Amino acid sequence: MPVYNAPLRDIRFVLHELIGMERFANLPGFKDASADVVDAILEEAGKFVGEVLQPLNQVGDREGCKFAAGEVATPTGFRQAYQTYCQGGWGGLAADPEHGGQGLPHLIGFALSELMSGANMAFAMYPGLSHGAYAAIERHGTPGQKASYLPKLASGEWTGTMNLTEPHCGTDLGLMRSRAEPQADGSYRITGTKIFISAGEHDLADNIVHLVLAKIPGGPEGVRGISLFIAPKFLPGADGSPGKRNTLACGSIEHKMGIHGNSTCVMNYDGAVGYLLGGAHRGLQAMFTMMNAARLGVGIQGLAQAEAAYQNAAIYARERRQGRSVAGAKDADAPADAIVVHPDVRRMLMTARAFTEGARALGLWTGLRIDLAHVHPDERTRRDAEDFVALLTPVIKGYFTDMGFEVANLAMQCYGGHGYIAEHGMEQFVRDARIAQIYEGANGVQALDLVGRKLPQNMGRLLRQFFHPLDVFLQAHAADAGLRELVGPLARAFGRLQQATAHIATAGLKDAEEAAAASSDYLRLFGLVALGWMWAEMAKVAQTKLKEGSAEPEFYRAKLATARFFMERMLPDTAALQAKATAGKRSLMELDAAVF
Amino acid sequence: MSEIRKAAVLGAGVMGAGIAAHVANAGVPVLLLDIVPKGANDRNALAADALRRMAKAKPAAFMHKDGARLVTPGNLEDHLGGLADCDWICEAVIEDPTIKRRLYEQVEKVRKDGSIVTTNTSTIPLGTLIEGLPERFRRDFAVTHFFNPPRYMRLLELVGGAATRAEALTTLRDFADRRLGKDVVAANDTPGFIANRIGIYWSTVAMTEALRLGLTVEEADSIVGRPMGVPKTGIFGLADLTGIDLAPHINASMLRLLPKRDAFVREFDPAGPLAGLIADMLAKGRAGRKSGQGFYRRREENGAQVREALDLTTREYRPLSKARLASAKAGKAGLRVLCEHPDRGGQYAWAVLSRTLCYAAELAPEIAQDLEAIDRAMRAGYAWKQGPFQQLDMLGADWFVARLQVDGRPVPALVAKAAGRSFYREADATRSVLGFAGGYVERRPPEDAWRLADKKRGRQPIQRNGSASLWDVGDGVTCLELHSKMNSIDADTIAMLMQAAQIERKGFKALIIGGDADNFSVGANVGVALFAANAAMWPLIEQTVSSLQQALMGLKYAKFPSVAAVAGMALGGGLEIALHCSAIVAHAESYMGLVEAGVGLIPAGGGSKELLTRCWTLAKRPGGPMPAINQAFETIALAKVSTSAAEARDLAFLRASDDIVMNRDRLLAEAKARALALAGDYKPPEPVAMRLPGPTAKTALRLAVDGFLAQGKATPHDARVAAELADVLAGGEKADITGEVTEKALLELERKAFLALIRTGPTLDRIEHLLETGRPLRN
Repeated sequence: MPVYNAPLRDIRFVLHELIGMERFANLPGFKDASADVVDAILEEAGKFVGEVLQPLNQVGDREGCKFAAGEVATPTGFRQAYQTYCQGGWGGLAADPEHGGQGLPHLIGFALSELMSGANMAFAMYPGLSHGAYAAIERHGTPGQKASYLPKLASGEWTGTMNLTEPHCGTDLGLMRSRAEPQADGSYRITGTKIFISAGEHDLADNIVHLVLAKIPGGPEGVRGISLFIAPKFLPGADGSPGKRNTLACGSIEHKMGIHGNSTCVMNYDGAVGYLLGGAHRGLQAMFTMMNAARLGVGIQGLAQAEAAYQNAAIYARERRQGRSVAGAKDADAPADAIVVHPDVRRMLMTARAFTEGARALGLWTGLRIDLAHVHPDERTRRDAEDFVALLTPVIKGYFTDMGFEVANLAMQCYGGHGYIAEHGMEQFVRDARIAQIYEGANGVQALDLVGRKLPQNMGRLLRQFFHPLDVFLQAHAADAGLRELVGPLARAFGRLQQATAHIATAGLKDAEEAAAASSDYLRLFGLVALGWMWAEMAKVAQTKLKEGSAEPEFYRAKLATARFFMERMLPDTAALQAKATAGKRSLMELDAAVF
Repeated sequence: MSEIRKAAVLGAGVMGAGIAAHVANAGVPVLLLDIVPKGANDRNALAADALRRMAKAKPAAFMHKDGARLVTPGNLEDHLGGLADCDWICEAVIEDPTIKRRLYEQVEKVRKDGSIVTTNTSTIPLGTLIEGLPERFRRDFAVTHFFNPPRYMRLLELVGGAATRAEALTTLRDFADRRLGKDVVAANDTPGFIANRIGIYWSTVAMTEALRLGLTVEEADSIVGRPMGVPKTGIFGLADLTGIDLAPHINASMLRLLPKRDAFVREFDPAGPLAGLIADMLAKGRAGRKSGQGFYRRREENGAQVREALDLTTREYRPLSKARLASAKAGKAGLRVLCEHPDRGGQYAWAVLSRTLCYAAELAPEIAQDLEAIDRAMRAGYAWKQGPFQQLDMLGADWFVARLQVDGRPVPALVAKAAGRSFYREADATRSVLGFAGGYVERRPPEDAWRLADKKRGRQPIQRNGSASLWDVGDGVTCLELHSKMNSIDADTIAMLMQAAQIERKGFKALIIGGDADNFSVGANVGVALFAANAAMWPLIEQTVSSLQQALMGLKYAKFPSVAAVAGMALGGGLEIALHCSAIVAHAESYMGLVEAGVGLIPAGGGSKELLTRCWTLAKRPGGPMPAINQAFETIALAKVSTSAAEARDLAFLRASDDIVMNRDRLLAEAKARALALAGDYKPPEPVAMRLPGPTAKTALRLAVDGFLAQGKATPHDARVAAELADVLAGGEKADITGEVTEKALLELERKAFLALIRTGPTLDRIEHLLETGRPLRN
């Protein structure tokens, strides 16, 4: 049986020591989030996910969801766990107190989502999608819509979904066929079929709030003619409680590689009642609010699967005895050494650690900026924070999920043959992690978003929020003897990122295919440099703590050692990635399509 | 050929006053006379008012504020005697032959022998105007038809009568060409001459067809606009600009003057829908921009500007709605694609274009001496990108004939002559035009008036990259041509500048920098700079600045002379290139400025240094270093831009020894001549020794800036930029007047200041805002 221990110490390190969230105590939400309160909440969250969610992870994987006559039954224990989740008030942690939430920073919500996903990704997706729906209605809804839906979504009584994909169109939403006919009472009747709808139907909540993209007849062609609608499973009655059943239903659920515990539904809308959310034909803009939040959330799933897999691999590597160290016996009393003595096992474990801790730092660093973008009183600070989040969203989604899968795979490798056996749970991490690279915009699409949309926006303005502070950091620490061995490689990697950026800006401006040809390698290069920055910042904190005579020297020494590992054994990939990202499109595009 | 040393303009209306102002721009004194208004105190009131209006006109009528002093206002009763010493008398009174003739009789009594009288009539044939006038007058009389505004529109139609002295025409042609900078087109003596004859028909057809096909004004303007190679104002926008009230007069005049067989007479229906629409508009005071409303209007609504367009059916205004005709988009691929497009826009384009081109082809031998004159007239007078015969070449004469035949329409004889070939032919280095007789006539531009295209024809560049090329323009002279977007400066431009600084190795003895583009250069490509700055690529930025400095220093101290042929905008880095040349030959319409402060930077390609040097070496500079420093500081800190070459001289961008050329077509030839003259026994310049005061000067400049800041005339970031500039112009922290500051030291200071500024958020915001909106940001 795999285990999961919420990485609370590391989260506390990032929140309090690296980011110093206490510095923002003057901002709404942060006032009530003193270190004590935050630590207590996370402690509770750790218990909840460890005791309630994690034990159901393998159960969900084995049983899967059951579909019969339009109804979906979730795996054993999920209903009870969801009740516990709602009773604990976990759903409304970062929601507005006006709508029944606790008004805590999104940052804390981010930390919680890692814990839930790490313990049970399939379960975490049910309430996870509610957050996106909540954000979209909060941003674009009418006062009436907000009153009807936000408190229910915050409390978890109802859950949310997002309905974009149709059988013939996923990435290219301009091809959408679902139609919404306007009615005399101002509502719409939606007809069409949506597929791959996560949590589209289940038995956890009283109602399901579907956010559905559809076209109003007569509107502009392509993506500019798409509108967003709220189509609840049960239409709220006058008292707000679920009333009449809407004419929409789950047609079937998919049989998939992983996340078996989550229902992936085909949704049929048969003249279903829908209410316009945001402006007519402005659906994509409204949906982007959900999508951006969801993309960051998926990035966190990558981190979470890597963390869970790593924890088990680390335990196994210390326990599993097999052969001797190549340098001679390390534990002569025992019949064999633990496999953790082997450099190559270390390589796998260190890679996992360096990724998860770096990614956690970057994820929360970004989470803080989501809060700043929401609540900071200074308009410019809000814009800067938004720019940072917009730039890093495709990087976090793409790089974290690629690495989540790679790390889960490495962790499974540590197990040898046992990793391939279901009982140990390692292959489930690999299977579950795999979807995160695909859904919410496949990682290739993330890379295109980065080079095609985020880079050129306002002549590279978004870049400023990443490149300038990193440049300042490097300048400030160039002569820092203690950090030199970290800052040197980081500065070189940063230079590579700049070169690749310049290449995309110049070559891509003349020929969009050149930018696209560089995109995936560029995204990974970006991700490595971003984690490198976090590692340098973390090492700086660790050094200071050690100098001050910390009571936890092991923790900080491990940070420094992992930082060195990252700089020496992961960051050098940037050289190869730069070469690939600047190699040009020729060898990709040379062959005639018919050859394939 | 006689010389025109003094002129008179009779009639101080929009055209008369504009012509007088432009004659003053040429440095020629001019009398401006109009009638005495009834009961006026000031008997010169009409001319004096017109002169005041000209001094305030936007765009400016005078190239320099002193120009107004050359214009003497007067009246036609008291000051006719003043005509006695005028070499040229230009009549620009109301379009009434009787009034004009009566005035000519008076003029005839006072003017001296050999003086020339012309009329600025736009439609009345010369023959009609000289009826009953004596032979002496007829011999000295011609039509000089200017276009509005006379300073800016390049066309001048010149028409002589049967009796007109050839020498008088030569004098006029030469004066208009060299002194007024006009593209002089000889026209035959027919109603409307060339440009208006075709232009009036074209605009009538374009409006009539829009009504017939049910297009909105926006839709019509989206076709008869950029896609057809005419200014983007389009046909209805143009009518608003020129004044809708003129149309009935012009149409009536043309109907009266033109023969019955003329297509305009046959097709224009004075009782038709278009005439009805215009009459209705005028009755409602909708005469175009002059009355605040026409086919379009702007309206305040709740403090916001609302743009509206006239609905051609209901004749009521409605909010502007952007035209979305697929043909307009597809038409970017060419005129033929536009005309072949099946939507209403494509049908409209074909209807307007085919009829206009047929009209031009039918009329050509009657109204012009060759078909190129027609193309030149439409380009210079109506700002068409291509004249009718160039358009026919773009469509292909054979395609055009075939399409007319499908429509069952007759093919004009001249078009039939071009079948299987084209109106213009380029083979190797020669260019020929199809003559009316059907044979090709070779065109060779004179050695003192050519465009770079004439030198490039049939040749390969000496060197070329994406942004610039080097061409051999003969006699050992190289031309560096910039050809990036708006001739902005990027790494390729700098690389080519470096190559240009070494042309003596290839056996050349002089360099000119310029080309045929409207603008010399708008300066550094700030988009690239902004992107690099956003990505914190400081070394790259520093290296780029430093290589521009090196390239320009290489040019300045090269073994051969360089001459910048400036026209249009020469801004920022573009002007820095010109400032480093041995001499500048500037077209009169040159808009020069070191505008870096507008985007929160300072000139760092050596421009700060060069302007300071120019101010330092001014002949009339008062004593001490401060006057020069102050002048350069003010010009750069306020990002002053000249509105003409004459103003650029005031700003010290042009030295006393630099030349101003009125005719754009002569610019490169003049630059080349200047370069060859300099090449004779050329020695690179000696560096100018400047003893700069250092911190004390900087303090003085900063005090002034602090004053502006306190008064709210400068923003904190303006002050920051000014402080960096002050440091450069003062010679840096270590300078004092006991030592000379070298050019190298000044360049280092420029670079340091530039790099400090480009790291600041407000500077990046300014650049971004400029790129996004085209307007400067005051932050």
